[in-house]
Amino acid sequence: MTINHHPSDETLMRMATGTLSAGPALVVSVHIEGCAVCRNRMANFEAIGGAILDEMPPVPLAADLFGRTMERLEAAQPLQARDRPTIKHPELGLKLPRAMQDCEVGPWKWLGPGFQWSKVKIAGNPDAKVMLLKGRAGLHLPAHGHTGLEFMQILSGSLSDERGQYFPGDLDEAGDDVDHRPVVGQESDCICLAALEGDTRLHGLLGRLLRPIVGF
Amino acid sequence: MNEARQKEVPPSPEELTSLIDAVAREQDRNAFARLFGYFAPRVKSFLMRSGLADFAAEEVTQEVMIAVWRKASYFDPGKAGASTWVFTIARNQRIDRLRRTQSRTTDHLLDPSDEPDMPPSGEDITITAEREEGVRKALATLPSEQATIVRLSFFAEKPHAEIARELGIPLGTVKSRVRLALNRLRALLDNDI
Repeated sequence: MTINHHPSDETLMRMATGTLSAGPALVVSVHIEGCAVCRNRMANFEAIGGAILDEMPPVPLAADLFGRTMERLEAAQPLQARDRPTIKHPELGLKLPRAMQDCEVGPWKWLGPGFQWSKVKIAGNPDAKVMLLKGRAGLHLPAHGHTGLEFMQILSGSLSDERGQYFPGDLDEAGDDVDHRPVVGQESDCICLAALEGDTRLHGLLGRLLRPIVGF
Repeated sequence: MNEARQKEVPPSPEELTSLIDAVAREQDRNAFARLFGYFAPRVKSFLMRSGLADFAAEEVTQEVMIAVWRKASYFDPGKAGASTWVFTIARNQRIDRLRRTQSRTTDHLLDPSDEPDMPPSGEDITITAEREEGVRKALATLPSEQATIVRLSFFAEKPHAEIARELGIPLGTVKSRVRLALNRLRALLDNDI
């Protein structure tokens, strides 16, 4: 599978530095899980972090820090493998990526004719603006723009807009300069994972549609 | 004058890797002490540079070193160099701390990415070593104002606005320097498949 749309360098760098907010970081994680090119790019940025750590001027530590750390190690419980309840969402009709295994995913809810959404809750970040969207084949989504970055990873089906066509594995990163009107491909329903950064809001009909229900 | 205290030669990347390996295989305390001696003062320095106060930075440093001990067997030299691995632990611990007010601590749990799938091949280890060397060369090759921007991006929580304030330059200049630096890095590190 060829992936044609990737997160920007800037987004990957922010992911590597830990400054990308939880919602977008989840969408990017899902992308990286399926994209060898971005795994490699991400590894480069993390290696820059390692290089910077190496060049940090060492600072003094409390004299007893090592001793206290050893004491805590004695007392520590052995590491446990993460409980991995297989997330079963038969009604969602899709296999969730591993990156979403700690998320709470709600049932599909009506958003408009042929258009549904499902709330995605990230552990520790209940306020992150992230959701699954499902549109039926051929659906025209309302035209919209955003006040900040919108991240969208295609999980199944396809979407297209004025800028291109997006297939499973593709990530679309749309900034405030993008006004678009996505259309679902004719071949099947489309499911995507979408997140907005920080206090980004959608404008246009989609914003008016989503805001009261989703709180975006 | 402190003649008694010799200037210790920092361990090489290969030594750091074998120290982590010794912790993983034998829970070797001497190896851990050397890792602690190298990493703890640098992790604390990094965290303070990222805005944590002395006390908080030391607390998080302790968490980082505990994670190094406990996750040592999950370190995969085919995926990351030793310092890069410790950097990602420090980054995650810092995020955890910022979120801790609302979430349970995940300290005792393993990240999905921790799980070793296969033993690293010699080829993976070579690729990783080349990557580590490549980024160091690239950082050294970048024009200094671009290298500065990249370094600062790894410290600041709100990169652009804070960097602009710190350097006393307009936000637009920061943005264009970040873009230039990233394009340059991409060209220098273009080892894509």
